[in-house]
Amino acid sequence: MHKKTIRDRSLDLLIYLFLLLVGVITLLPIANVLSKAVSDESAVISGKVGILPVGFQLQTMKYVISSSQFITSIGISMLVMIVGTVLAIALTALTAYPLSKRNLPGISFIMLLFIFTMLFNGGIIPNYLLMKELHLINSLWSLILPALISVFNMLVIKSYYESLPESLEESAKIDGASNFTILFRIVIPLSGPVLATIALFYAVYYWNDYFNPMLYINDAGLKPLQLYLRDIVMDADSSSAMNKSADDMMNVSPEGVRSATVIASIIPMLLVYPYLQKHFVKGVLIGSVKG
Amino acid sequence: MAMNYKKWMMATLVGGLSVTSLVACSSTGTPGASSITPASKPSAEVSKATTEPKSDLKTLQIWQKDDYNTYPVAKYLEQKTGYKVQYDMLPQDKPEDKLNILIASGEPYDAITIYGSTDFKALYSDYAKKGALIELGPLIDKFGPNIKAVIDPEALEAAKVDGKLYAIPTKSISNVNTSLYIRQDWLEKVNMKSPTTLDELTAVLKAFKEKDPGGNGDKNIPLTVKGEAPFIDNIAGAFGIPNFWNNVNGKMTPRILDPAYPEYVNYVADLFKQGLLDKEYAANKDATAKEKFTSGKAGMILLNWSDVPTIADALTKNIPTAKASYISALKGEDGKAGLAAFRGFDRLTFIPKASKHPEDAMKWINAKLEKETFINMTIGEENKHYTLKDGTYTPIQPIFSEERNAANNFLTGSDDTNYPIYWQARVRKDMRLFEAWEFMNKKEPANTKVEDPLGFAPYLPEFSKSFQQLNTMVGDYTMKLVFGAEQLSGLDAFIAKFKSSGGEASYKEVNDWYTAAKK
Repeated sequence: MHKKTIRDRSLDLLIYLFLLLVGVITLLPIANVLSKAVSDESAVISGKVGILPVGFQLQTMKYVISSSQFITSIGISMLVMIVGTVLAIALTALTAYPLSKRNLPGISFIMLLFIFTMLFNGGIIPNYLLMKELHLINSLWSLILPALISVFNMLVIKSYYESLPESLEESAKIDGASNFTILFRIVIPLSGPVLATIALFYAVYYWNDYFNPMLYINDAGLKPLQLYLRDIVMDADSSSAMNKSADDMMNVSPEGVRSATVIASIIPMLLVYPYLQKHFVKGVLIGSVKG
Repeated sequence: MAMNYKKWMMATLVGGLSVTSLVACSSTGTPGASSITPASKPSAEVSKATTEPKSDLKTLQIWQKDDYNTYPVAKYLEQKTGYKVQYDMLPQDKPEDKLNILIASGEPYDAITIYGSTDFKALYSDYAKKGALIELGPLIDKFGPNIKAVIDPEALEAAKVDGKLYAIPTKSISNVNTSLYIRQDWLEKVNMKSPTTLDELTAVLKAFKEKDPGGNGDKNIPLTVKGEAPFIDNIAGAFGIPNFWNNVNGKMTPRILDPAYPEYVNYVADLFKQGLLDKEYAANKDATAKEKFTSGKAGMILLNWSDVPTIADALTKNIPTAKASYISALKGEDGKAGLAAFRGFDRLTFIPKASKHPEDAMKWINAKLEKETFINMTIGEENKHYTLKDGTYTPIQPIFSEERNAANNFLTGSDDTNYPIYWQARVRKDMRLFEAWEFMNKKEPANTKVEDPLGFAPYLPEFSKSFQQLNTMVGDYTMKLVFGAEQLSGLDAFIAKFKSSGGEASYKEVNDWYTAAKK
């Protein structure tokens, strides 16, 4: 390895500084919302709060976090995310496995069926009617079931399975392993990174899902966080103000409360992201190179 | 690494197990499933099976911050009316879309309450015409004596579609909401009185700019207004155009066709040219205008009375010596003055055909209008939530705000004679709020309060169709005139465009109704 010259180093420094600057810029809006959440409401209204809080207080945060609707919503979101992700990854991994065996009879037809759903689907109203007939309106299953198998994710796992050397499975078979043993003891353990990545995709999907709950959930006690958040943030929006009576106008959430709700709801994701990010990068890379 | 794989394998296995266990749970309906299916469903069925004589009702409400089901008013109503009600709510964002889906798919709601604004009125009328709603007339005759007794007959009449009633209207309390709010201490510094005419207003704004009472140097903004208000309330009233439609020689006339329109534009454009109106008028959002006012840069702002407490708090925090109040309705050259007052429906409550218990729904709506129930539902219990003295209802805080703040969302029809009086308790929760409201609505001469003449118009298809678009068109054009991007010499061309974009048809439709209604 050759030694870095001063020129190289100063160039490195410059690049780092530049990247740091770009990074900081992307953080500015978040910093602004954060400061609004912990600033005095009067300062927020008079537009004094920029990146740093003015008149620091935690009252607003406390109010938001202790509101029962917020706690319920975050609980619902967690529940949907955890149950959804676990089921989705299990089903997706199990679906991908037989499809990765190209010599099975009829496999290309079944593949075609899957691909078909990627291109065509029923649309909102038929889906809604389906959910209604299944009695899933106002049930959290309506948020979990429709997204259990994403064909795209399934294909990623499938191509990863296909990249595993066939000789591994053959040798296991010679040692007397059944198909299930091969799947659970050999294939799945070897697919750790890709499964982790796909699990993350599912988790993020379930966490961020807004549209399904908007359609299928009417009970305020079952609203996930994203829906709750949208309602709160929309509260002062002029398009909804049009319908508001004097009573509603008196009850609009102040800007500080809205900012605090936004902050409180990104905290859980913010906490897990650093730990999961390495899987994200690794898993996506592995999939793309070998797949 | 091996550990990681093991973990993932475990996760997969657990996942597989939980599928089977959860499926098992929900199929037997054991309480274990209630963590994931709504708890209300099984319990609702159980209570129906027991000796409860009244059926359970399911209603759809408009959005509010708190869950209706756990709100104190819901508990009170259940105990008082005997009906156990499950409240669902529409989202805050695009509630129309959701409502359409729910109606189209025939969700069995027993009562649906929606906003009473133009676009929702159009939806209601559409549902009624397509036969999705139950006609309420016969039900009211049988089960709705209170409805007949307390709801304003004019409102009931206006809620009819093709001569039949499909919804119980909740009348809006007719309030003036917006006017000009002025820095009293600035006025004192420039030694002037609160303006009462347009000329005085110009003079005051000029003094605010030149004498620098705010100590901002040349950065003083004499008047700031949000860009969403191309017609500045109170000033527009002085030209006789407080509302979108105004009576000109017996004809309902939209502002753009009003002979006073050019005068209004000239006056405001002149304010702008002289630097008396915020340079950023068009770009101002509601929040930016408030920022300018509360940080002490602006001398006047167009403000809703419901904002007064927060604005006053922020202002005094920044400038402890600041004082502010509303100005009275300005008089124009020929003595015209007016503040737009809201008139119309606050809510509409209807019973869809899909309802399983329409009779009970009607009984429930009727029971809520029982005098004692109604007052308790809206403002609570005497000496617990409010005190009554000399006919004035004063809230007891904080319990009033905690338990009755969202009470207005439980209205399904109101006692139109008494509710405006009870309602004042809601404004008295903050005296500054009350004073601001009282000034505009009670202290000003009654003839300055100009109600929207179209408030109780029935559903007018042409008008509903083009209202939004025309409103935006006229708003944009007016803004451009104020800034000098367009000249009044082009007004005729714009009016032609206005008429061809649906303005003509609306005009005819509105006036046909208006002449018929006057008779």
